Amino acid sequence: MLAQMLVNGLLSGLIYVIMALGFTMIFGIMRIVNFAHGEFYMIGAVVVFVMFGMLGWPFFLAVICGGVAAGMLGVIAERTLFRRLVGEEMSGMIMSLAIGIILQSLVLLTFGPAEQMISRPFTGVWSIGGAVVPWDRTVVALGALGVLVLFHWFLKATRTGLAMRAVAQDPQTASLMGVESGVIYSAAFGISCLLAGFAGALMAPIYTIGPYMGEMPMLKAFVVVILGGLGSVPGAMLGGLLLGLSESLLSTVFSSGIALIASFAMVMIIVIIRPAGLLGRSAR
Amino acid sequence: MKPIGFLYIMLVMLACVPWIIDSRYIFHIATMITIMAPMALSLGLMLKLGQLSIAQPALMGIGAYTAALLATKLGAPTLAALLCGGVMAALVALVIGPVFLRIKGVYFVLLTYAFGEVVYLTFQEWTTLTGGMSGLYGIPKLSLFGFRLTLAQHYYVLGLMFTLLCYFGIRAIEKSNVGAIITALNEDEMLSRALGSNAIAWRVAAFTLSALIAGISGGIYANYIGFLSPDPFGFRASVDLIVINTIGGTGSILGALLGAILVVPLPELLREAQQYRLLIYGICLVIFLVFVRNGLVSLRWPWGRKS
Repeated sequence: MLAQMLVNGLLSGLIYVIMALGFTMIFGIMRIVNFAHGEFYMIGAVVVFVMFGMLGWPFFLAVICGGVAAGMLGVIAERTLFRRLVGEEMSGMIMSLAIGIILQSLVLLTFGPAEQMISRPFTGVWSIGGAVVPWDRTVVALGALGVLVLFHWFLKATRTGLAMRAVAQDPQTASLMGVESGVIYSAAFGISCLLAGFAGALMAPIYTIGPYMGEMPMLKAFVVVILGGLGSVPGAMLGGLLLGLSESLLSTVFSSGIALIASFAMVMIIVIIRPAGLLGRSAR
Repeated sequence: MKPIGFLYIMLVMLACVPWIIDSRYIFHIATMITIMAPMALSLGLMLKLGQLSIAQPALMGIGAYTAALLATKLGAPTLAALLCGGVMAALVALVIGPVFLRIKGVYFVLLTYAFGEVVYLTFQEWTTLTGGMSGLYGIPKLSLFGFRLTLAQHYYVLGLMFTLLCYFGIRAIEKSNVGAIITALNEDEMLSRALGSNAIAWRVAAFTLSALIAGISGGIYANYIGFLSPDPFGFRASVDLIVINTIGGTGSILGALLGAILVVPLPELLREAQQYRLLIYGICLVIFLVFVRNGLVSLRWPWGRKS
């Protein structure tokens, strides 16, 4: 029982981490709360639906395409719309609401409101320490883990990653050091949306696919990011695993509705007591 | 003629339109406008403080459910139930205000967002009280001193009166010393506190007033529709209010009113093309954010503008 709860928590926690990382990165670098983040997740899943479900491409190719498509959309949105609002928290937030609405309704117009299913590329289960783990969830978790490692490497070991961290820390000094903030904004937004799209693409065979599928993961990412601290990457990792575990515990003991209420109550408490989150830098 | 006067005359004429066309459908749309306009004003009041609150629909929901439950379960007189709904929402705001309003900027938005979700989920999960997603039925029509309001026309007049009360009430506050204090708090809190204004107290007062307005509109809504589900009090409703305020002009009372008049009929007018509604919403928002940052009220009107 306990082992099963741990495994379930870890499996969903890893996806939350991927969602939350992109969300927190955009805030850290551009100070924009991206309410459209869930829609980029949805775009990733829709691409998988078209390529894998309808055209019959290999699953992993479709997943990569889903991530890249969401990332490219993100770059376009950043370059044309968000760039004008960098540093204006309120307008940036409203702009992200608008973009979320537009993406959602475009998918609604193209595919209709019905929730779609695709066949699962992996079936069967395996067990570890008394816990049953479905193979498809395992693939999702491994994919998420791979992306996490890549992302960590990118942030710590590449010049662009270094530049991003510099802009997040102090945009003015970074630009004095010759970091072009415009390029960094585009790259950050693109990577963030790529992560969201990738998460959605991986999850596509597990849940149904529809225009509103991004709302729940967006809520989760939001909770995670507040838990860990807006703009903090290690915080997002810790928060994601924490949320995954606490949710699987609460929904086993009570119900998933109670688990959701509890997570939002937790968010309120954290914002009030420690707005910077568990691992965040203290607010200005 | 003063341009503002001209606008008022147009608005008065617009308010009479439902009687000229005299169809139930038009009256329904007009009533919905007069229910959402005070909501937009209540968000507008918060935006005046410089704090974007996503909790307004939740407060409206608290008012609506309180009024409906008092009237259906306890058989309270409907007018008393309606006012209790408003007071309940105001009380909630009074309790959470001192804690919430210390927090500013993005964190305030996120905090009110989480609060809104908690309230919405509570409506949804507490099925024994609220009926959950299947809703609360049989809310009695409002009766005012022995006169039962049954038709959309009646609620339109009621809503219109409430909207006017809110509009002129907030305008009076805006023009008084209190309005000056609130503006000063938004512009330079440090300075205005140094000059002796109690920042938190004024903020809480404004938040409580905005909640009172939201709660009463909720009560009117519950009595008018006669059925409640958690749906109209979720995040979507907040998006609608934000759209209204952005299009009308952020932080402008007149803007919130104009925005409500323009935006609320959209879903009804686009009933044939319901799925395009959100798309049009989104595109309007982007256009306004990019080109008309300060909303309709900042546009140069053909008849000139008071400088």
